[in-house]
Amino acid sequence: MKGILLVVLLLATAPLYADYTPFYLGLLTEVLVFGLFALAFDVMLGHAGVMSLGHSAFLGVAAYTTGLLLARLRAPVEVSLLAGALAGLVTALAVGGLVLRKRGVYLAMLTLAMSQVFYYAALMWTPVTGGTDGLGNLPVLYLSEPLGWRLSKRPMTRYYVIAGIILVAMLVIRHVLASPLGRVMRAVKANETRAAACGYHTRRVKLAAFAISGLFSGLAGGLLTLVLEFVPIENIHWPMSGTVLIMALFGGTGTLLGPFVGAGVFIWMRDFLSKHLEYWEVFVGGAFVLIVLFLPDGIVGSINRLLARRRPAPAPPADVLVPDPGRLVRARPSDGDGGGPLLESRGLAKDFGGLAAVNGVDFQVRRGELRSVIGPNGAGKTTFFNLLTGVLPPTRGQILFKGHDITRLPAHAVSRLGVARSYQVTNIFGDLTVFENVRIAAQSRVTHYRCWGNADRLTAVNQRAEEILTSLGLGEKRHVRGAELSHGEQRYLEIGIALATDPDFLLLDEPTAGMSPEETQRTAAFVRKLAGHVTIVLVEHDMEVVMGISDRITVLNYGEVLAEGTPAEIRDNADVRRVYLRD
Amino acid sequence: MNGCILILVALGLSIVFGLMGIINFAHGIFYMLGAYAGWLTVHLTGSFWLALLVAPVTVGALGVLVERGVLTRIYGTKNAGFAGVLVTYGLAIMIPDLVRMTFGRPGKPFAVPAELSASLFKLGPTDVNAYRVFIVGVTAVLLPLLWLLLNKTNLGLVIRAGTSDNGMVQLLGINVARTWTATYALGAALAAFAGVITAPLVAVAPEMGGLILIECFIVTVVGGMGSFLGAVVGGLLIGEALALTGMLYDVLADVVIYLAMGAVLLLRPRGLFGQEGMSEE
Repeated sequence: MKGILLVVLLLATAPLYADYTPFYLGLLTEVLVFGLFALAFDVMLGHAGVMSLGHSAFLGVAAYTTGLLLARLRAPVEVSLLAGALAGLVTALAVGGLVLRKRGVYLAMLTLAMSQVFYYAALMWTPVTGGTDGLGNLPVLYLSEPLGWRLSKRPMTRYYVIAGIILVAMLVIRHVLASPLGRVMRAVKANETRAAACGYHTRRVKLAAFAISGLFSGLAGGLLTLVLEFVPIENIHWPMSGTVLIMALFGGTGTLLGPFVGAGVFIWMRDFLSKHLEYWEVFVGGAFVLIVLFLPDGIVGSINRLLARRRPAPAPPADVLVPDPGRLVRARPSDGDGGGPLLESRGLAKDFGGLAAVNGVDFQVRRGELRSVIGPNGAGKTTFFNLLTGVLPPTRGQILFKGHDITRLPAHAVSRLGVARSYQVTNIFGDLTVFENVRIAAQSRVTHYRCWGNADRLTAVNQRAEEILTSLGLGEKRHVRGAELSHGEQRYLEIGIALATDPDFLLLDEPTAGMSPEETQRTAAFVRKLAGHVTIVLVEHDMEVVMGISDRITVLNYGEVLAEGTPAEIRDNADVRRVYLRD
Repeated sequence: MNGCILILVALGLSIVFGLMGIINFAHGIFYMLGAYAGWLTVHLTGSFWLALLVAPVTVGALGVLVERGVLTRIYGTKNAGFAGVLVTYGLAIMIPDLVRMTFGRPGKPFAVPAELSASLFKLGPTDVNAYRVFIVGVTAVLLPLLWLLLNKTNLGLVIRAGTSDNGMVQLLGINVARTWTATYALGAALAAFAGVITAPLVAVAPEMGGLILIECFIVTVVGGMGSFLGAVVGGLLIGEALALTGMLYDVLADVVIYLAMGAVLLLRPRGLFGQEGMSEE
């Protein structure tokens, strides 16, 4: 709240800090508009982890939309602005829908290429856009009654109107980022695989980030048209995407004020340097390289980091984990699997090129069972898990869960049906706090896309996360980043994340990997107790653990089921002794 | 002919991405600098043939500097792929202005070497001169050599192994750092070579690196990122599409290649010759 008041005060008094010329005010207005653009850009980069190099399209299409409505239809300013914002949104959805088939750097380049299509369209469609000459002849801009201000006459009026709009936009963005959807975006940024395993449709979440970003980029585009009273073609050309990227990184991604500071620094560099130096881009480019290499948090991000360092260190770690399985598991209302197996695979197979990693596995687990899957390295255990949880599509065969065919379902859909898992290599949200790790998983049971209301006020979700953390003995560590936990704690946290989605069926991929003998013993006992509440399939290398706690054991070898039975049967099975135990 | 240039530039972009996971925004700069190095050589010595040698060597050396001096700092950091785009983008903004500072804003004329300026024959309405044939010929010689380098030598083996699993190659005790430097320099040298041989057809200008970068990226999307054959076929397809639409209906030329890219993405997201999983991250 204090922050907002400070921003309001700063915006209100900004015109007073320097000479009162229209030039200075114009510059200030431009900084605000570009700050909004950079903030909208950063909704994707800093909050959803999606780098776009195509934001010029969103800004440009919106600027043309606003400009055309004003110039051709003589539409009111407010309507034109709104239409511009919507045009940005639609453009972002169209681009996002196509490029989200890819990820990371590849996606970034695709956005760049897509934005060029819009550029060429604007370039060629001269009768409408004015081509390289830009779109001019905007009428005198009046806000309609009751305000009725003539925007272009007094720079001061224009500054305050635009500053007001931008303040509101900033508050809306802040609100959305704190909403359940905003939190899911952060989770997707921190670890997309894990987010999908929690039931989130990560591609759709990223598309939502595109939409929000497009809407506010569009608003910035419309406002830019008001500021310039002209729509230059440079708006939609790709260097504009580079400019907004530079602004966001100068200021610091993932912060609210950073993009505005970055826009200020960039425009100052442009105006100040270009006044004195013909080749100012050398310095912008050079400064950019230095910032990326040595100040990756940007100006505001680095200041935040310095301030954070002065805060007291988090509480000392609790000594021993005393997990309490009873409170960890919450059963879903049973939708009647009619006494059949909870999960069944029929002839399940996965080929990688010529290699059959999983080859015709028939597998049945009934409700309440603790089943272990063992086999030598390379037997296909992890691949089998990946097939069951929708991470990989099978080459052949069928998977039934509670009698439903889930063979072709993606990971997030499988999770929503009540399948949760841990991974062989620890897979948590390293950048999120321990509490948020579990909270975001629990939130998937309640809401995925709600973009209003503060996510921290979802009482039921908070209680559930709290319950799980306390039961796992991680309560003391709730404010620590996941990555800072010890290895053993991370393994437990991962089980906590899995359980927070209230699964009926839990797959644990070597939960004791990398643990000391005592930790292994404790974890084995914990898994055994957990089995009283949820159906478990366990991949494990420690024979003592497997023989001690399993109800039944399935042995895989070269992707095929070699044997299945109780621990005693498996111990006495000649095939298993020969192939697996090697004696 | 257009396609030949695209292939040479796109190949470097594709190999560097395949191995290092970095989309090298500075790649167009190497192309531009190659043209300038060539111009300077011709200006000073009058020999086009010397320029063909000098440009790749000097720009390749510059590639070593960029890789050792700048890129090494981001390897292994979180989001190294993003950071790679960002720093090379910074260079792509900086260097054209440095070139403008040194050589002036206007482009430099670069004459077709006298030995190759003769008109050979007429193909429809267009005059085919010896220089165009030379470009095609040089590419036709260079590509098999590159293929041999990448497929039959030790360096090539390490590059290809690194493309599929870098960590593993490192564990085998191979000096990956040196391979990366060599690959980056090779890409830069290829782009520079393409820059010299294009120079007589266009004016040598600081801006020439920007456009070709996007075109080459489209080539690699269409052909498949990291694939040798993909870069070659993609380069030919896009080059010919550009040339043909340019001849028939000028304004459409730039749009057609983007449409081609969109179509490939929709129908075969990994590109014509891309391997599964190669370009997902």
